[in-house]
Amino acid sequence: MLFRILKRDLKRKKTMNVILFLFIVLAAMFVASGINNVVTVMNGTEYFFDKAGMGDYVIITMGEGAVGALDDMLQNESAVKSYRKECGVYGTIDNVKAKDGSVLKSNNTAFVFQSIDDLTINLFDDENEKITKIDKGHVIITGSFMKDNNLKEGDEIVIEICGVDLSLILDGTAKDALFGSDFMGNTRFLLNDEDIQVFLDNEEIYTHYTGEICYIDTDDVLAISRAESDASNIAFSGARSMLKMTYIMELIMAFIVLILSVCLIVVSMVVLKFTITFTISEEFREIGVMKAIGISNGRIRSLYITKYFMMALLGSVFGFFFSIPFGGLMLGMVSEKMVLGNENALFLNLIGALLVILVIILFAYNCTKKVKKATPVDAIRSGETDERYRKKSVLKLHKFPVGNSFFMALNDILSSPKRFLTIISVFTVFTLFVLMLVNTTNTMKSDKLISAFGVTKTDLYFVYTSGYMNLSDKEDMLETMNKFEEELSEAGMPAELCVDVQYNYPISFEGYDYMLACQQGVNTRASDYKYMEGSAPKNKNEIAITPQISEITGAKIGDTMTIHFGDTDLDCMVVAYYETMNILGEVVRLHEDAPVDFEFKSATLPYQIKFTDSPDEEVITERKERISEMYENSDVMTATEYCISCVAVADAVEGVQHGLLLVTIIVIILVTILMEKSFITSEKSEIAILKAMGFKDFTIIKWHVLRFFIVALIAVILAAALSTPMTDLCISPVFGMMGASEIDYNIKPLEIFLIYPGIVLAVTVFVSWLVSLGTRSIKSSDTADIE
Amino acid sequence: MMEAVLKVNDLCKTYVVNKRQNNVLKNVSFDIKDGEMVAVMGPSGSGKSTLLYTVSGMDKSTGGEVLFCGRDITKLGSKELSKLRLDEMGFIFQQMYMMKNLTILDNILLPAMESKKTKESRKEKTERGEALMRKLGIIEVSDNDINEVSGGQLQRACICRSMINKPKLLFADEPTGALNRAASNEVMDELVKLNKEGTAILMVTHDPRVAAKCDRVLYIVDGHIVGEYISSEGKDSDKETDEKERERKLNSWLMELGW
Repeated sequence: MLFRILKRDLKRKKTMNVILFLFIVLAAMFVASGINNVVTVMNGTEYFFDKAGMGDYVIITMGEGAVGALDDMLQNESAVKSYRKECGVYGTIDNVKAKDGSVLKSNNTAFVFQSIDDLTINLFDDENEKITKIDKGHVIITGSFMKDNNLKEGDEIVIEICGVDLSLILDGTAKDALFGSDFMGNTRFLLNDEDIQVFLDNEEIYTHYTGEICYIDTDDVLAISRAESDASNIAFSGARSMLKMTYIMELIMAFIVLILSVCLIVVSMVVLKFTITFTISEEFREIGVMKAIGISNGRIRSLYITKYFMMALLGSVFGFFFSIPFGGLMLGMVSEKMVLGNENALFLNLIGALLVILVIILFAYNCTKKVKKATPVDAIRSGETDERYRKKSVLKLHKFPVGNSFFMALNDILSSPKRFLTIISVFTVFTLFVLMLVNTTNTMKSDKLISAFGVTKTDLYFVYTSGYMNLSDKEDMLETMNKFEEELSEAGMPAELCVDVQYNYPISFEGYDYMLACQQGVNTRASDYKYMEGSAPKNKNEIAITPQISEITGAKIGDTMTIHFGDTDLDCMVVAYYETMNILGEVVRLHEDAPVDFEFKSATLPYQIKFTDSPDEEVITERKERISEMYENSDVMTATEYCISCVAVADAVEGVQHGLLLVTIIVIILVTILMEKSFITSEKSEIAILKAMGFKDFTIIKWHVLRFFIVALIAVILAAALSTPMTDLCISPVFGMMGASEIDYNIKPLEIFLIYPGIVLAVTVFVSWLVSLGTRSIKSSDTADIE
Repeated sequence: MMEAVLKVNDLCKTYVVNKRQNNVLKNVSFDIKDGEMVAVMGPSGSGKSTLLYTVSGMDKSTGGEVLFCGRDITKLGSKELSKLRLDEMGFIFQQMYMMKNLTILDNILLPAMESKKTKESRKEKTERGEALMRKLGIIEVSDNDINEVSGGQLQRACICRSMINKPKLLFADEPTGALNRAASNEVMDELVKLNKEGTAILMVTHDPRVAAKCDRVLYIVDGHIVGEYISSEGKDSDKETDEKERERKLNSWLMELGW
């Protein structure tokens, strides 16, 4: 008998049950894949680094005397447990061209050419298989170099260094734990040993363009960091923990998926609660009849619990199977540059699906407690016993000068706030999530982050790698810049150039030595940059440090650090804190007059062009094209383009944002259908009586649509109002992990307050209108058939 | 001679259920004059409610014509029918359906606020609604929710709602069916008063005591009007003995028809 009642229930509330089932499938899919993805991603970098055989500390040397520069330290430092060294030839994008001689592009400043036989860590192919062999005349490249230049396997490139050139066939890309992330700014080219020897045999290359990559195993990273200060030619050094942070963007994407999963789980549960509660309240008459004929509470509860258990079981089975490809799709987005693995993937998916079943049963059990309260009187009074009587009307029609539809819609919302809060909260959470990502993407795709990348704002940013390696000192650099200025002036583009240069200087503080990255402007003043606290360095004895440097060294404003500028030692006072996303925030800013030793130079940021004739944006765009044409191997960017190239994942985040918008629309559609369907069911008698009284279909549809319009409007207003503070609250810590927490977000009012809220409103209104057309099938004569 | 507010000619209504035709109304003809109060009686399933819903335009007829103030409503579209029901007809149902989230007064005012029949202001409409409630003795519950009043009060509120747009004809489907005797008497007294004031009423009822208060009683069996009882006493008579006499005569007429 109970089974027959259940069967009838499933048939009678077909649409609602189908939507609820869909939510269960979605919830199971997201929970199952979400748990698996979280476990995989949380252990992801560690798993990848272990599989690659990365050390606890990595030091890269380059330039004349770089080979063997670390030997003393490696042999004498007791903290070094073991180490592995690789020899590489360094170059830039200028050294790599397509077979036909055309210019290739790369955002990375340094290229490393290495022999596969010399590798001491493991690199992996697309199938996550270890790369062990490269044929003579072939090359494998890490990172997104091939993708950025639309190169395919089998295409040919030419590497040319100091007159030695080699034509190589592309064999594909490699997943590289050290240089895989765009944040590292390097690209590794893996060659056959015989091919690399062609370059190493050249004396000039061997002397000036080689260096070492050293992976050190240690339990005392700080000791290694201090010990390296005695070594020279260090271009980069960093602990494993810092290198893991270079995959922050990949992790952020995974966390977005995770948060989305959590949101969907919450929505599924909220909708589930609504549906179960609604079902129970609609069934009071039947429950009353069942009680009147003597069916026990337990039996009645079991009826509903069985129904939800069956739906949960079936939904979770579907969700489990869908979660496998879905999770793979999500991980694929992250693992393009990483080897991610999880031996318990299927088990975790299964746990997720079972968890959904458990939660639904607990939920159904909790919601069916109301059955106990039902009495046979409910059969007579349709669930309206005196105990449940409560004031419903909130507004007074005669005191509220608006149309009937609007009045009834608003009055309904105010009379049943709990029911409508469910919709408001779901819509608000999802819209807010979309708006937060919109703010993040817009900020990443604007020039708002320019100061966070350690440069001042100028008209254009000019990456021209030719001659970078040969600049022997600051005078040489100034001369090169003067030459650029003259050439630009001759071309009718009067401009001043400036540039930021990074050095790795040994620094002593409170008895400890560190090798720290320092940044100094050429043709800029330290006061041109932004500082969080304190004041800009005013003379060569003053420096600004980041919170990260403060954490590493313990130095605070007012402390004095000794910087060893080659032959000159200088005691510098910390006068300010500042933020930068360069080297994940581990950078000291020097005064422009501080000593300079190019022996310690590790990187040169883009040359910055500031036109002196104050051109407008159109002219700047035109000049950008002209400069690109003047300097063949250059990359000329606006401040916005430079920021986009630095963030590297702005497009990926935008992709996630679009995906999230789609999910939001789907959720809004499903919630609106479910809610409106249930409203129509519960208000059938009211609709019929309104029609009997002479209310037109249009008025009734307007009443129903307006309810959704009002709640969606409240939701989008809330979301838009909260979007800026919530972006700051949730996204700033992510930027903070990269070195900059004080972010000036690029809020586009049109998108935040009009376009995206408009999309949510339009979808809600359209779907509610479509579903509310169902009220047309209720006739005025149905008043005779209503129970 | 009084004009017919409703004239029904050869009205037919057929339902098709599982490919089987069910002729619920078979060439029904009758009329209701202005200010007349007519009851429709008959056994269960005879077609009483179908007749009420069909002649009021709530349900479509299969054949025949229904002339409301000379206009054939069977030829009207749904929008015109809605307007007609809103402005010219009033409805009272056995179950006293009302909007759950509105107060009693707002439920009464709702059709008035929707109607564009008069150019009255919201205030004037409200005053009219309150006057009706006062007249029917329920003004003290105007701000109450529908759950906070008795069945009798709720049905009187339904009468107020049905009267708010000053209809020409009031349709009532078992208006006292869900009420106890005392409440039933109160409601019928109010309906009689309204009728005396000029509102024509067509009512479906099972209760001979209720039907006895009407000018005429139509008896319907199996979709046909098989008899018509015309009260010989004037309905103006309100003496208890007269009422009992009317009931007695009606009962014996019903007995003759097999009631």
